[in-house]
Amino acid sequence: MAIYNTDTRLSEAILKHPSLIPVIDRLGVSLGVGDRTIGEVCEKCGIDKGFFLSMVNTFIDEEYFPVNPRDTFTLAKTIDYLEKTDAYYLKSQLPNIERHFSSLISRSGNDNNLELLMTFYGEASQELRECMSYDADVLYPTLRKGVVPPEYTERDSAYNDVGEKLHDLLYLIVAHLKGTYDHNLCMAVISAVFSLERDIRQNNRIRQRILKPSVLEMCGNKA
Amino acid sequence: MNDKTKISLVGLDSLRILGLRILLAEEKDCQTDNFSSFGDFEPFSDKAAGYIVAGKVFMENLDFFLPRKSRTLVVAEGKGEKAAPAGIGFIYPEADETEIKANIARFVKSLRGGEPHGELSAREVEVLRLIAKGKINKEIADELCISINTVITHRKNLSSKLGVKSASGLSLYAMMNGII
Repeated sequence: MAIYNTDTRLSEAILKHPSLIPVIDRLGVSLGVGDRTIGEVCEKCGIDKGFFLSMVNTFIDEEYFPVNPRDTFTLAKTIDYLEKTDAYYLKSQLPNIERHFSSLISRSGNDNNLELLMTFYGEASQELRECMSYDADVLYPTLRKGVVPPEYTERDSAYNDVGEKLHDLLYLIVAHLKGTYDHNLCMAVISAVFSLERDIRQNNRIRQRILKPSVLEMCGNKA
Repeated sequence: MNDKTKISLVGLDSLRILGLRILLAEEKDCQTDNFSSFGDFEPFSDKAAGYIVAGKVFMENLDFFLPRKSRTLVVAEGKGEKAAPAGIGFIYPEADETEIKANIARFVKSLRGGEPHGELSAREVEVLRLIAKGKINKEIADELCISINTVITHRKNLSSKLGVKSASGLSLYAMMNGII
């Protein structure tokens, strides 16, 4: 997997990894990037190049471990990014999947097992909302005050668990869906759940490899 | 492993049993067992992949058949079944021959598509059933008189065979496939 640097054209990186579109948006870059390199885009938008590259490369490459300055700048910027990610889930992705799922059920036959699958999705979605609610109400405000909540490391697997459930949901739909159903809407549900599951997995790398080292540094430990 | 698809015929009269056996014989590798009443059938219910059941028997034993609705085909006997819960498969004796044959073929196909747990060992199915009931590893170990390590091994094998990792995903699998 190619690691991007300041000389990479941002448009090429995005076309190769379209899942970067919401990422660069959360980092403050809008589409219409022209032929500019990542370095030029960062300068134009006033974004720290090292931070931008760490986030983008961590997001797209699971083998990549960023060498970040473990400082309050990185911590604050990563929290800003994750808050925008949560807002994107709450305002777009979760309602989008719920809408697609409801339409799929109402436009499909009554001989399938879609309602069970939607109930399972509802549980995973509620778990994700609880994770985001804890982060918004407890974790991020506490970290911004320079304090690490005592339960911080115990919650390491919270997003992983949600990602695992969404992965299971995809598998159960693909392998065990029965009966008649609206094929187009079913593809829309699968595509939306897949996109959310991948986004959670990729952002979890950002939590583990960029946010966590800064947090541990703050409480005096080495990652 | 015996790879015949076993189907129990429950509470049906002789003429319907004869007709269904002829139709099921056209589907390759189907094996039927006949039970005159639900009481006779229930102790052997785990042996079958699917059930073709008289409407009256179905309505009188909803507690058993509803969780297994994906594996059940009900022989309609009148208007009573119209009030049956959604998602139940019916076969209508008065329908034309082509429709009845297609209905049987669809049912057998759905059973074959939906019985990968046939690859699970009896012990793994037992562990899966207990996971689906919300039991933790220690409770499962106590109930089955095995060690926690053995339970963990069964769980790993279940995840590996079924492609499902989370406990709630395994529970959903069990519900969707009539294991609970």
